[in-house]
Amino acid sequence: MVSNRTKDEPHRLGHDVFLDEVHSFEFWFQAVEGYLSDHPYGCSRTPVVAEPEIAESARDGLITTLCNYCVGETAALEAASSMIAFAPNRRSKIFLATQVVDEARHLEVLLHRLEQLGVADPEAEVDLRANRSLLAFKRRLLELVAARDWESAVFAQNVILETMEFTVFSAHIELADPITAEVLEGIIKDERRHMGFGENDIGRRLMDAPHIRARLATVREELDPLVLDAFEETLDQIGVPRSERPDLGRRYLSSVTRLGFDS
Amino acid sequence: MTDPLLEEEVGSEEPRQRFVLDETGFDEVPKKYRRFYRKWGGPTDTLAPNEVLCPVCKVVIRSTRELRVGDRVYCMPCMSRLVVAKSASGLLEAIVNYG
Repeated sequence: MVSNRTKDEPHRLGHDVFLDEVHSFEFWFQAVEGYLSDHPYGCSRTPVVAEPEIAESARDGLITTLCNYCVGETAALEAASSMIAFAPNRRSKIFLATQVVDEARHLEVLLHRLEQLGVADPEAEVDLRANRSLLAFKRRLLELVAARDWESAVFAQNVILETMEFTVFSAHIELADPITAEVLEGIIKDERRHMGFGENDIGRRLMDAPHIRARLATVREELDPLVLDAFEETLDQIGVPRSERPDLGRRYLSSVTRLGFDS
Repeated sequence: MTDPLLEEEVGSEEPRQRFVLDETGFDEVPKKYRRFYRKWGGPTDTLAPNEVLCPVCKVVIRSTRELRVGDRVYCMPCMSRLVVAKSASGLLEAIVNYG
C-alpha cells in the first residue's frame, strides 16, 4: 500500500504508465501552466519594465542571435507539425502536437522580443540575418521529414537541433539582459521535453533495430558541420569566452555520446 | 534495476532513510510531481542521499527514500527512465535506460 508520504511518487509508476503520463497532452498542459501562466510573451514583467540599456553593437548582435533562434524554432515548428502524420504511435503523435504548440510559442515570443528591441519588421529581419548553415540545416531537416524518415527526422530535430538550442540558450541566459534571459528560461523548460523525447525515442529504436545506427551516423556526419558553424557564430555573438567553449561543446555532444555515436 | 513497485525492504539490506519532500519552486511538471524535482545549482551543488542528477536535462531528481545502486527513477521534465549507479568518484549517478 502506498502511504501518503509516497503518494504521487513518480518513481513508483510502471514504465508504460510513466510513458503514457509524460507523453500526454494533460501532462503538458499542467506542466506549462506552472511557468507560462501570467507570462505574456514569456515574460513575467507586466507591464514590461523599461528596456535595459544595451550598447548599440551589443543590441545589433542580440538581434542577429534572436533572428537565428527564430530560424531554428521555425524549422522545428514546420518539421514537428509534419511529423505527426507519420509518427509511429499514439504517444509520439500526441507529444509532437504539444511540441508544435511549444515551437509556435517560441517563435512568437522571439519575434516579440525583436519588436521590443526596435526591429520594425522582425520576420523580414530574420530573412536578412539568417545564418546560411542554419538555413541549410533547416532545408535538410525538412527533406528528411518529406521522405517520412522517422528515425532520421527525430535524430536531426529532437537530438541534434534541440540539444544545440538547449546548450546555447543555457549559455546565453548567463550573459543576457533580464528580459531576454527570462524569455529564454521559459523556452529551455520546453526544450527539456523535446530533447528528452528525441534521445529516448532514438535510444529505444537503436536497441530494437541496431542497423539504423549507420543511417543516423550519416545524418549526423552531414548535419554536424552545419550545427557547429551556427553554434560558433552564436557563441561569438553572445560573447561566450573561448575558455568556456570546450565545456559547452561537451554538453552539446553528450546526447549523441550516450546514444553510442563517437563524439 | 530495482523496481520500486516490486521492491520489499526485507533480507539483509539496511533500512533506507526516508525523506519528507517539500516543493522548492521547481515548476516544469504538474503540481503533484513538483516536489520530486529541483533545479540543479551547478557543480558545487551537493546532492542529498535521496537525490541524483539527470544526465539528460540536468535537473535534480528526488525520492522519498534514500537512493541506492540499481534503483530506478524517472525524470519527468525530460521523460527519461534512469538507473542509479556508482560513478568513478564513488558518488551516485544516474544512467539513462532506454530499454
